[in-house]
Amino acid sequence: MTGGRLGKALLASSFLFLIQVTESARAEDDTTPETYGVATLKLPAPPHRFITANGFGTSTFTVFDGDTGKMEGNISAGYVPNFGESPDGSHFYVSETYWVHGTRGARQDMVTVYDAKTLSAEKEIPIPSRALVNQLHNFGLSLSGHRGYVYAMQPASSVIWLDLKNQTAGGTIDLPGCSMIYPVGDEGFTSLCGDGSLATVLVSDQGKVTMTHSKPFFDANRDPIFDDSISDTASGKAFFVSFTGLVYETKLGATPVIEKPWSIQQAAGLPVAGTGVKELTWRPGGHQLVAYHKASGKLFVIMHMGNYWTQDAGGSEIWVLDTKKHSLVSRFPLWAVPTSGAIVKDKPVYYRNLQVSQDQHPVIFLLNTEGNDMVLDATTGKLLRKIEAASGGAAYVSGM
Amino acid sequence: MSKARTTFDKASERFVRRLAGYTSRRSFLSRVGAAVTAGAALPLLPISRASAAAAPETDFDRYAQATDDKRCDYWKYCASSGVLCSCCGGGHNTCPPGTEPSPISWIGTCRNPENAKSYIIAYRDCCGKSACQAERDCVCDGEDGALPSYRTQLDNHVIWCFGTSSQVYHCSTGALVGPAN
Repeated sequence: MTGGRLGKALLASSFLFLIQVTESARAEDDTTPETYGVATLKLPAPPHRFITANGFGTSTFTVFDGDTGKMEGNISAGYVPNFGESPDGSHFYVSETYWVHGTRGARQDMVTVYDAKTLSAEKEIPIPSRALVNQLHNFGLSLSGHRGYVYAMQPASSVIWLDLKNQTAGGTIDLPGCSMIYPVGDEGFTSLCGDGSLATVLVSDQGKVTMTHSKPFFDANRDPIFDDSISDTASGKAFFVSFTGLVYETKLGATPVIEKPWSIQQAAGLPVAGTGVKELTWRPGGHQLVAYHKASGKLFVIMHMGNYWTQDAGGSEIWVLDTKKHSLVSRFPLWAVPTSGAIVKDKPVYYRNLQVSQDQHPVIFLLNTEGNDMVLDATTGKLLRKIEAASGGAAYVSGM
Repeated sequence: MSKARTTFDKASERFVRRLAGYTSRRSFLSRVGAAVTAGAALPLLPISRASAAAAPETDFDRYAQATDDKRCDYWKYCASSGVLCSCCGGGHNTCPPGTEPSPISWIGTCRNPENAKSYIIAYRDCCGKSACQAERDCVCDGEDGALPSYRTQLDNHVIWCFGTSSQVYHCSTGALVGPAN
């Protein structure tokens, strides 16, 4: 058998081929029983690891190494789940929903705690019904990771808070007219409200809740803030981006400090964008459309050319902005991809979700809904890698 | 603005009345009531925008058609998001067999290309079966007047299967409620 293969290899007169076949034959001759095992993830996580949500409805969170494109593992999840990682990287949290007979029967909502090395489920924390929407700020973790928050909508808004030290649900906080969770240190969270204010909710260890509202600072009808804006829990910095492209930098805290807004377009030397439906200009759009690199203070925003009311449109460029100078650093052009749901036939649709790694040599993770994830150099915009995997939901990285 | 608000209040009232006919789940109704009341207390520009006689055409309006409800550019879908029920055995105002319509809806204001007038559209999700696997051209994302989740009544991203026996999303419909002005 082996000799026959060697003979065929010699006939092929390829030295390289000969070596490969010889090595293959040697492996087949090795009769040592193979060991069998289960892989684990590396801890601490490599700097360019990212995790994406796959599928609509019942989903999977898939762990990728952005440097190799290799899939490292999967976390199965229930219906329209949300994801979180503990600040020390030791645990993943999945906020999820099940029905006992698949699509029927009793509904069960829970936050499941996973070991971040083995990806095995350690604990299920039962919770009341949560909101069923794939949005980044449906779930939040406090600075220390001792608290968790789950956004709920029935359709009145509320937030379920969790005591993660004891792995129990603490209680439910009514949040009328407001939504989403931007954690504030270890004390509580801030939400965006329909009257143009921020609601800040502080929760004591005993569960005592206090809620205060800022003065209204944006017009929720005329130029609303994307509820997929971004915040950094460690520094308390939040960047609330409006449909027209205004950035409201805010220091989250018991009393949030909201700075005067600056315009993304003006930072790029263009006129400030308005709300005209025939005002064609560069606009922010997408779903997870803003990412923040903490060390450099750079903001990454998915931009498209469009009129007003194109806030969900995929972007054809990423704009990199200096949040200290309010200036444009770079514009990275992207590549067109086929996509579903193209209502306006002549409007190309590109990417709707991005995230950026938090290391000193950051990369951008760029997702579309058609199963092509891209890894870009966050300094040059150069395409480093394409990962053809069925993903397109939100992207998560350590430290954000 | 006052006219706009009146228009919305009438629409809200209609939705709440319709709810009363659909379900007797009191706890659910009280939650809906809270949400709708909160919404009514706030100004609602999309209605007012549509009420303006000379509202300029949006991107959606320029391509909208009134003949084929199996396409995303059907005019009533200007603020719809999801899979079209008309591609899944139902219609733009009909849930597919075996599904359950959500008793409440999010709303939009769309322009009929045949008479250039604007109408309030109620979008309901059909629920209780896994997501309809329709062809890709039936997966839509209308954006006109859609607002973030803190403006619940105009949020088309969340699954609107509130109050149904199963909250699993199947597809979305859009039915005319009445003129916007």
